[in-house]
Amino acid sequence: MAKKWTATKSLFLSRMLTLASLAIAVATLFCIPFLAEWYDAISGDPPIRNQLIVCLYISDALGILALWQLHKLLRNINRQRVFVPENAACFRLISWCCFAVSILWMVMFLTCIRFHEFIISFMAAFAGLVIRVMKNLLEAAVELREENDYTI
Amino acid sequence: MPIVVNLDVMMAKRKISAGELAERVDITPANLSILKNNKAKAVRFSTLEAICRELDCQPGDVLEYVKDE
Repeated sequence: MAKKWTATKSLFLSRMLTLASLAIAVATLFCIPFLAEWYDAISGDPPIRNQLIVCLYISDALGILALWQLHKLLRNINRQRVFVPENAACFRLISWCCFAVSILWMVMFLTCIRFHEFIISFMAAFAGLVIRVMKNLLEAAVELREENDYTI
Repeated sequence: MPIVVNLDVMMAKRKISAGELAERVDITPANLSILKNNKAKAVRFSTLEAICRELDCQPGDVLEYVKDE
């Protein structure tokens, strides 16, 4: 009973956190120019405002897309639809978003040479790889479930 | 798939309906339909045994291997 309660609560909390992150990501879209200016002001390095604005807009859009997919995934899990191809597709899209962000920040790193851009790129690539592995696992599970369903 | 299920042929020979066979074999009509329409990925020995018992036939009468073209 206690275990079920915890599982339900963790799913609910994950969904709420995803929605909150989604709201923050959407709100961030309106603050990107100010964030870029603020970064230039505190970094002390040569200004990269325009590149940073473009990079942040693209990253934020990809982040919103990934969070929306995560929301769909958690909604499916909540409806007891776990081992379905739709969830594997969500994982695939999230991993592609991570890889796209990684490439974007790697380009930014190569043009501006700032260490934190490399860190962002590395973390996004690592997250993308982990999610890719999870996608492969889920695809295998979907196949197993299908085989089980069609065993008479 | 090269394995073809000829359940409908045997059912016609024994003059038994899908609903009746499903009830006798103790599987759902939906699962019998999956089996009949060659959608099944595997058949349990227990199911095959029950089908052969009820239709008074051999597994080879129900299952057939057809070479892929």
